Amino acid sequence: MQKNQSIEIGALLLEIGALLMSAGANTNRIRLTMRRIAKSYGYKAEYLITHRAIMLTLQNPNGDLAFNQVKQTYAQVPNFMMVSGISRLSWRIVDENLSVETVWQEIERLKLLPKYPKLIILATVALACAAFCRLGGGNFTEMLIVFLASFSGLFIKQELGKKKVNPYFGVFLASFITTMICGVIGVWYPFQHDNMAFVTSVLYLIPGIPLINSISDIMDGNSLNGIIRALNGIVISFAIASGLLIAVLIFNAV
Amino acid sequence: MMDWIDFFEKWIWFGVAAIGFAILFNVPKRTLIPIFIMAALGGSVKLVLLHWGDSLVLGTLLGAVLIGFLSIYAAHFKHSPPFVFAIPAVIPMVPGSYAYYTMKGIIKLANNSNNTDFVPLLNDTITNGFKTLFILMAIAIGVFAPMLLTRRDSAKQIKMPLLKQDKK
Repeated sequence: MQKNQSIEIGALLLEIGALLMSAGANTNRIRLTMRRIAKSYGYKAEYLITHRAIMLTLQNPNGDLAFNQVKQTYAQVPNFMMVSGISRLSWRIVDENLSVETVWQEIERLKLLPKYPKLIILATVALACAAFCRLGGGNFTEMLIVFLASFSGLFIKQELGKKKVNPYFGVFLASFITTMICGVIGVWYPFQHDNMAFVTSVLYLIPGIPLINSISDIMDGNSLNGIIRALNGIVISFAIASGLLIAVLIFNAV
Repeated sequence: MMDWIDFFEKWIWFGVAAIGFAILFNVPKRTLIPIFIMAALGGSVKLVLLHWGDSLVLGTLLGAVLIGFLSIYAAHFKHSPPFVFAIPAVIPMVPGSYAYYTMKGIIKLANNSNNTDFVPLLNDTITNGFKTLFILMAIAIGVFAPMLLTRRDSAKQIKMPLLKQDKK
């Protein structure tokens, strides 16, 4: 019985770590959450957390080795609802001493939580890019163009993501198509504000989570994960830039 | 009078931009209103400092620090980790246009064959490039500031003034 329990708790900790890593939490948060849960069940956890895999060793209260396993993390899809849910769950485990079965049920429930409707995601993100355009000094016609371009670009990026295209290539294509739409409309309607539409229509692609998490990881001393995230963010920025630049060169807007 | 209307309009656009990214990152519904308010306040701090102090980097840093501290408050009220609020709220401050002018400058430099144009072009490109870099650093450090200053592991352990909370 004791042995089975340690295997269950080990699998639970690995699953929580993998889910947090894929949902976009920083490394320190993953470490603290795993340690908090392990401690509340009376185990001592030692782990190695990387971008693609998590390695965990559990010691039972007597100090004997109870569990040792490596788990691959999932694909990186930002999902703050999952992070928030797991954070609340970890405090409930500490406060209410939930059983392992209940925690598994809660995790399954969190995985099935409804996401926002697809049309609402597309519309609000496109509206956000239009807001950027306005903040940069664009007028309302330019905002409309940006809205259309970002809407189609994000749709294409999501469809490419479903087809399992390389994520960097997906970002490149989305950036290229978005700016091409802006450019084609710009042939009939010349922009008044130095191509503000070009700049702001690709802003939905910016790698905000990798760049901000990389700084916080480096500050926490998880330098290796920080460097990996920074590199990830830089490559995405480069993909956006190359897509944008090709379109700008085609329309000779330089 | 016109200035105030202009200011209020920008206030709303900062919030709208943050909400778009919040929904892209799939945040819980209860956090949407705090994210809107935080993004608008942080953006206003940036605009005010830009108007008075003429320093974009300092304005962005202070705006991001404000968002960082507000995110701790919001985390206590709405029971979500602070960075769920902070990351969507700071994204409207990302220096998209400076990054664009930097790249545009680099292409111009690559195609340039005129000696007299070279130095002013290089000046502009490097200024824009460093502005982009420093603004990005200011955003990241600003968001992280509360954790850095209070030296706590979790936002739950940070004691908030003006807020009743149970002992953990």
